[in-house]
Amino acid sequence: MNNKLIKKITLVSASALVAVGFVSIPVAAHASAPVCQTANYVESCGGVTSDGGKYATMVPANFNGTVYLYSHGYRYAIDAPALGYKVSTIINNPVPAPLPNNDPTDTTVIKYLLSQGYGIAGSAYSIEGWNADAAVATDKELIDTFKTKYPNTKKVIAWGESLGGFITQALAEKYPTLVSAAGLACPALGTVEAELNVAGDFLWGMHTFFDSSIKGHNYSAGAAGEAEAQADISKILGATAEIKASLTSGVWPHNSGAAGKALAAIPPRSALLLVGLMAGIPTKSAHFDGTTGPGAKNSAAYTSFALAASPALAVLENGAQSAILGVLATLDLERQTGGAFYDNSKTDYASRLDSDLTTFNAALSGNTAIAGMLAFLNPANPAAPRWTATSDAQSKLRALVQNTGKINVPTVTLTATSDPAVPAGNTQWLANKYVAQWAAAKAKAAAAAVSSGKYVAPNQMFLPIWNVAPTSYTKFDGAGSPDTSGPAATGTNHCNFTAKQWMGLADILAKASTDGHVQPTAAIRALARKAGGVVDSRLQAPLLPFYGSN
Amino acid sequence: MFAKRSSKFAVLATASAAVAALTLGALPAQAFNPRSEAGVTATTIKLGITTPLTGSAAPGYNKVPAAMQAYFNYVNDNGGVYGRKIQLTVKDDGYIPTTAVANAKSMSNGVLAYVANLGTANNNAIAKSPVVGLAANHIPSIFINTGFSGFADWAKFPTMYPIFPSYIMEAKIMGQYIKENFAGKKLGLIYQDDDFGTDALAGFKTAGVNFDVSIPYASGSQSAAAGAGWVGKLKAAGAEVVVMFGVTSATGAALGASAVLGYKAQWILGSVGGDATTLKALGVPAAVLTGSIGASFLPGTSDTKDEYVKQFQEINTKYNAGASFDNNVLVAMNSAMLTVEALRAAGKNLTRQSLMAAIEKKGATFASAAFSPILYSPTSHVGYSGYWFGKYDPSGAMLPEGGAYSLYTTDSGAGAVAKATIKRPAMPAKGLPNNS
Repeated sequence: MNNKLIKKITLVSASALVAVGFVSIPVAAHASAPVCQTANYVESCGGVTSDGGKYATMVPANFNGTVYLYSHGYRYAIDAPALGYKVSTIINNPVPAPLPNNDPTDTTVIKYLLSQGYGIAGSAYSIEGWNADAAVATDKELIDTFKTKYPNTKKVIAWGESLGGFITQALAEKYPTLVSAAGLACPALGTVEAELNVAGDFLWGMHTFFDSSIKGHNYSAGAAGEAEAQADISKILGATAEIKASLTSGVWPHNSGAAGKALAAIPPRSALLLVGLMAGIPTKSAHFDGTTGPGAKNSAAYTSFALAASPALAVLENGAQSAILGVLATLDLERQTGGAFYDNSKTDYASRLDSDLTTFNAALSGNTAIAGMLAFLNPANPAAPRWTATSDAQSKLRALVQNTGKINVPTVTLTATSDPAVPAGNTQWLANKYVAQWAAAKAKAAAAAVSSGKYVAPNQMFLPIWNVAPTSYTKFDGAGSPDTSGPAATGTNHCNFTAKQWMGLADILAKASTDGHVQPTAAIRALARKAGGVVDSRLQAPLLPFYGSN
Repeated sequence: MFAKRSSKFAVLATASAAVAALTLGALPAQAFNPRSEAGVTATTIKLGITTPLTGSAAPGYNKVPAAMQAYFNYVNDNGGVYGRKIQLTVKDDGYIPTTAVANAKSMSNGVLAYVANLGTANNNAIAKSPVVGLAANHIPSIFINTGFSGFADWAKFPTMYPIFPSYIMEAKIMGQYIKENFAGKKLGLIYQDDDFGTDALAGFKTAGVNFDVSIPYASGSQSAAAGAGWVGKLKAAGAEVVVMFGVTSATGAALGASAVLGYKAQWILGSVGGDATTLKALGVPAAVLTGSIGASFLPGTSDTKDEYVKQFQEINTKYNAGASFDNNVLVAMNSAMLTVEALRAAGKNLTRQSLMAAIEKKGATFASAAFSPILYSPTSHVGYSGYWFGKYDPSGAMLPEGGAYSLYTTDSGAGAVAKATIKRPAMPAKGLPNNS
């Protein structure tokens, strides 16, 4: 929350109880008692945990004993001037609840929770970047602080988005008695290594096919490394712009070097799509659905766009977003681990692509083109050297906190199926883990029934909610060019959830915390419908490619 | 991981206030126990098909759903299947795999089975899509419209039941035919550059046929201009005999360009792209098509002495208003009849599992128009295994060479190509299966 946002929130004055108050943030660098003020029947407090993490809490006068503890997502560890991002601003402004559509001016969820009598709390944490290890400790301390301040607290519902989902799951695994239910929105899950491999594969592909000056990994120390990362962002944007132009020209980006020469007969869009598929980037994006084209359905223009161009444009739209974030996250984690951790020296991209090569055969320009591109990417090709990690950095990366996947408390995920930054495969990883856990619980119940004579089925403790992108949504202008001026389609982009979705998730978590499980009962289904949902029990997302080939 | 950025970036990166669709996974998908009665009520059986009604592959194949529905309506008017009427849900995929997946997903909870889904890439995409979960959810996909050999791998595709001879079989048999009839000629090949064509290349290789010029084309790239390019390469290579192993619109592009550029060659058309009615509708001059060689596993559509053709023509006339009776209609009606036989064999307690079990246990006994037997068994998902060759006459009819059907059979492996005796079950009375 920046100062502008704080001002806006300060100005918000809804009806009596619902108003959101201003959170004063103490300057103290050490743990201190929260500083509070009350306005419109809401007590807003700010404080600092022992590690220096600033936090904010808001509690209504009719506090019902349940607090939602929010863990925010990944924030860059360095300033990003081009994006108007400053670490010093963001780290001083804790956010106690999700902001719908990533809109910092939208306090709908905050107001909704307070109006229901819930307390809310959230920390900006002591460091930015990948901070799961520290954040779990901070959250634990914040829970204790909150309970001290509000002794009538009965339940803590932990929820978070993106990296915050990872933190929330880690918190629930480590402190199951402190948390009554967990909500994981657009979550990263499992290991940071698996997540960063998506970015690493994409960056390596961009480097190898389109611009060998993209560094992508192994950044220098200090300011030099930051400059390299900022330069990479510019190069990625430049390359993607040239690839977009190549849809009509067929010309490879000017820095494509050996690949551009060797693969000149293949459209660059096919090479980009291959890179996206290798990395696990979704083939549906904010504005490209991968299924429709301009004009009449029977026209050649419609078919060729839908079949060949749309999936590549989706990867272009998704990949640019993912790559920029990937560059900055890679720099961050390399600093934390002391060197290069990404390693694709043994990655078998061809086997990873198996089914995709069929589904997107036409967009990849056919088997001959595919064979040519994969041959170029072969480790034996000196023009396409693989990247290797330093064993020390990789060890340190793997020593960072990981999710075990154990579900200790009722847990609900909210995941867009075409999330470009944190693919839905993260959630599928947890779902797969729970399958085994639930099977074990049922086996245990069956064994108990042998002696008791009565089978008591275990309750379901995990519920995945998928935010599915529609089949068709690409818009075209009168000339048949795609129109990307409209809003992103639902089910796409990262953490692109509406207030209604966040509130729907909050309602389900409230019920789960009371019930002690998340059985898909009529009541739960009704809550999902309230959030614009339908019930589908058969959906599975592809796992992150990392799990399939390493 | 990458959530809140700066407020500026966040504002730039987001937008929509659209109400999003949430999908609630009632259980982890892998743990779900599918409802066996999906698509079945006391009075109806719902089946689904995704196929190109529009787009590059639509010509000809877009007649399949209507022809199948016509046959089902005929059966429905005669009592249905144990009193249940068959309803066919039809979805247009434009021959675009991602659309086929979306179509299959949309039908997955409402139909007993998919039937006659068309296209190698589309069927493969559906089979491997975690969103559809074809195998995980035990959804049968029966009598699919593709000859990709891989689908007969019942361990990999346990719920898929291909019926056509594989493209490897077709290429092997075609290779044998070429060696017998065109030894020493310069050979050319045009093929779709995906699994469809890969099968063909494997079959020709097994047959020991080497082409002097091979021209791959990416699916969807066929056009008049592309056809001209292909013909230019064939002419430059001096190809005297050309095999066309692609979809009908690609055949049309090649033959059309051949007519325009005055290129004379002996064309051999694969079964997928050799429907004369469609080719003529695409503008291929009769003079170019006449004398071309084609391959088929069903009788010729003009062979009214054949009891299957005769019966299907009658049904087509009465139930498929105005549709010309061509190879696409014949294939569709044959698949529809096989479907009815499978449904009957599954019994009155119809489930997805009972349907698949019936095909595996009794499928080899089903009556069908094809000249080669069906090879289904509990350990085999191989359907037909043979082809005959004919020549197109000026009317577009494909007539067996020498006046009589001569069947070649083989397998998708290294087995020999052999001439076989035609032996098939009689057409059920009035074309209405009575098996159990």
